[in-house]
Amino acid sequence: MTQHTPPPGPDAPGTASDGAEPHAAGSALPRRRSFLIGAGSGAAVTALAATGITAASRPPESTTAAPAPAPAVAFHGANQAGVYRPAAQQRQACFAAFRVLAKDRAELKTLLRTLTAKGATLSTGLRISDPVPAEDLPAVAGGPPPNSGVLGEDVPPDSFTMTVGLAASVFDNPAYGLAAKKPKGLTGMTVFPNDTPDPAWTGGDLLLQLCADSTDMIHYALRDITKATRGVLALQWRINGFHSAPRPSGSPRNLFGYKDGIVNLAQDDQLVWIGKDSGQPAWAVGGTFIVVRLIRMLVEFWDRVGLGEQDGMIGRHRATGAPLGGTTETDVPDYAHDPDGQTIPLDAHIRLANPRTKATDASRLLRRGYNYDLGVDLNGNLQAGLIFASYQRNIQDQFEATQLRLVNEPMTDYIEPFGGGYFIGLPGVADKHGFLGEGLFT
Amino acid sequence: MTDSLPAPAQTMDAALTAYRGYVAGKLDTLTGQVLTLKASIGNNDLAAARPQWLDAQLTWQEIGAAYGSFGDLGDAINGLPSGLPRGTADPGFTGLHRLEYGLHHGQGPAELAPVAATLYTDIGALRGKLPSLTVAASDLPIRCHEILEDSLRDNLSGNNDQGGGMALALTAADLHGTRVVLALMATLIDGLQPGYTARVSATLDRLDTALAATKANGRWPVWRAVPLSGRQPVTGALGAALEVLAYVPALFSTDD
Ligand code: HEM
Repeated sequence: MTQHTPPPGPDAPGTASDGAEPHAAGSALPRRRSFLIGAGSGAAVTALAATGITAASRPPESTTAAPAPAPAVAFHGANQAGVYRPAAQQRQACFAAFRVLAKDRAELKTLLRTLTAKGATLSTGLRISDPVPAEDLPAVAGGPPPNSGVLGEDVPPDSFTMTVGLAASVFDNPAYGLAAKKPKGLTGMTVFPNDTPDPAWTGGDLLLQLCADSTDMIHYALRDITKATRGVLALQWRINGFHSAPRPSGSPRNLFGYKDGIVNLAQDDQLVWIGKDSGQPAWAVGGTFIVVRLIRMLVEFWDRVGLGEQDGMIGRHRATGAPLGGTTETDVPDYAHDPDGQTIPLDAHIRLANPRTKATDASRLLRRGYNYDLGVDLNGNLQAGLIFASYQRNIQDQFEATQLRLVNEPMTDYIEPFGGGYFIGLPGVADKHGFLGEGLFT
Repeated sequence: MTDSLPAPAQTMDAALTAYRGYVAGKLDTLTGQVLTLKASIGNNDLAAARPQWLDAQLTWQEIGAAYGSFGDLGDAINGLPSGLPRGTADPGFTGLHRLEYGLHHGQGPAELAPVAATLYTDIGALRGKLPSLTVAASDLPIRCHEILEDSLRDNLSGNNDQGGGMALALTAADLHGTRVVLALMATLIDGLQPGYTARVSATLDRLDTALAATKANGRWPVWRAVPLSGRQPVTGALGAALEVLAYVPALFSTDD
C-alpha cells in the first residue's frame, strides 16, 4: 500500500453510531472498533469514507521536556554501520536470521530497498509529526497505527544501527539469478570438532544485526522491520544480547567474568573491509564477512573452577584483564620471550587465538560480540553465553584459521557452540538514492 | 470447499442478507455431514468417521464463525477443552473438536455416539435460530480480517488441534471463508478504497499457493510434521495477508 492513502474525508459524519448493533445473544461482541453504520442502514453505505490519514489529526507536539536525545549513528557511508560505527559498541543487540521468501529477483530488490529505508529511518529517529515513511502501510483513521508505540510517540535515534548480511543460500537460489555474484568463500557454517549445532539456531538466508543503547529500541526496531517485510522475510531464529558497562573500568566483562574485547583490529589494519584487490566480485567491495557463533557458556561449571586455572585458560588475570604476568589490560603479551608458556600457557585462549607471529597476523579479525542470557536449561542451569560476532574480509583465512587453532583449547570444556551462520555483510549505502545490495542487480 | 464465490453486494444490507444465506447453506451441508459421521460412529466404523469429521470441521470453518459469533451454540459446536476444569474429560467439552479428540485418542461409540447426537441437535438449533440472529454491520468487515487471524492464533499455533493435525486443511477452509466475505464486500470496499479488494486478493492467492505446496499426494500433511522450509511460506503469506486485511475494518470505521 505504498503511496496509497485513503481519500481524505470529513471526520465522522453525523450518522455515526456508538457501536455495533446487538449481536447474537450470548455471543462475544466485536471489540475495539466502532462503526459508522448499523445493520439496516444500507443507504448510508455511500456515505462511508475513511476519515483521513492520521497525520492530519495528530495532536500538537508535547511541550514537556524529553530526555536528552541519544545520538544518531550515520546510516549512510562506504561501509555499513554496526561494525566500526559507532566506535563504542552499543549496549544492546539483536541478531536475527530470516528465511527470504521473495519469489524472484524483483521482490528481493524491493526487500533490500525496504530494509534500506527502515535502516535509514530508524537510525535517524522519527517524530510523530513526520510523515509516515513510504515503506509503511499508511495510517488509516480507525485502523492499526503505523507504529507499535513501544517507544512512545517519537522514535529516538538511540545509537541505532542495522547491519544486513546475506547467506550463501541466497546466491544459490536460482530464483534470484545471483550465482555469478556469490562471494568467494561464502559457505554454510563449518561444523568444528567441538560444535553441537542445533537446527533451531542455525540457517537463515538473511541476517539482521540490530544494535542500540536500549532494549526497547531493539524490540521496537525488530517489530517495525518485520511488519514492513511481512511475507517476504520469515523470522527463523533470533537472540538478544547485551554489552556490559565497564567493571570498574576498561573493557566490559563477559559472563566468565573476564574483560573481553581488549584486543581488536583497527580499521587501518585493513583486514575487515573487502577491498578492490580482494578477488571478490566488484559489488562486494566495502562489505565484510560476518560470522555469528552462538556459544553457550557453562557458567555454573566455570564458577567451580579455581581462579588460577581460569586465568590460565584465558591467559589473562580476571581482576585487571592484564595478560598473565602483566599489570594492566593494555599490556601486550610477549610470547617471544615466553616460548615454553611459563607465563602465558601455550594453550591459553588468547595465545591460541592470536599467537602474534608474522605468519598469523593476517588471521586476526574484528570481534564485536554480545553476552546473552536466555533462561533455564533442562536441568535448571542458566542458559547464557556469548553471541560471538566477527567481521573479516576472508572467512577461511581469518575466522576459520583462528577457530581451528582454538580446537580443543582448555576452555572447550566450558563452552558449547550451538548456532549461528556465515554471511556477507553488504557494502554500505552511499546516500539516500542507493540501497543495500544495489550492486547485486547491476 | 471449491464452491464458487458469491457476487458482490451493492449495499451492506444486501451483503448481510447474502451472507446469512451462505451460512444457512453451509449449515445445511453440515447437518448432512454430521448425520453421516454420527452413523459411522454408531457403527463403530472409526476409519470412516475420521475423514468425515474433517469434512464437517471444514464446512464449519468455511462459515467463518470467528470470535465466537454464534455465542453458546457456537461454543457447543466448536468449543475447545481449554478453560474447562477437567480439560478434555470435561462434560462441557462437546462438538466437533470433542469428536476429533475421541477419534484420535482411541475412543469408540460408547463415548462418542452421545457427543455426535448432541452435535447434531445443536447444529439443528443453530440452523433454526439463524433467521432471527441479528448480525451487526460491523460484523462482515471484521470477519474479512479476523477469520484468518484465528487461523494463525488457533490453527497454526496448534492450540485447537485435538489430534487430527489438520491445521492446514482448516486454514485452507478459513481462507475460503475469507474469500466469500471479501467477495460479498468487494464493491463496498472498493468504493471506499479503489483497488483494495484486488490488493487483498493477491495476498490470498499467495497463501493459497503456499498452502497447496504443502500437500503430498493431494493430501494435507500434519502441520507439525511439515519441515520449517515448508511452514515458512505458509506463515509468511498468511502474515502478509493479515497486514492488508487489517485495514478492511478501518475503512468502515469511524474511530480515530
Ligand atoms: C564463549 C566463548 C569465548 C570466550 C568466553 C572468549 C573469551 C575471550 C577473552 C576473555 C579474551 C581476552 C580479552 C580480549 O583480548 O578481548 C578473548 C580474546 C580473543 N578471543 Fe575469545 N572467547 C570466546 C570465543 C572466541 C572465538 C570463537 C574466537 C574466534 C574463533 C575467539 C577469538 C579471540 C581472539 C582473536 C581474541 C584476541 C586475542 C588477542 O589478540 O590477544 N574467541 N576471548
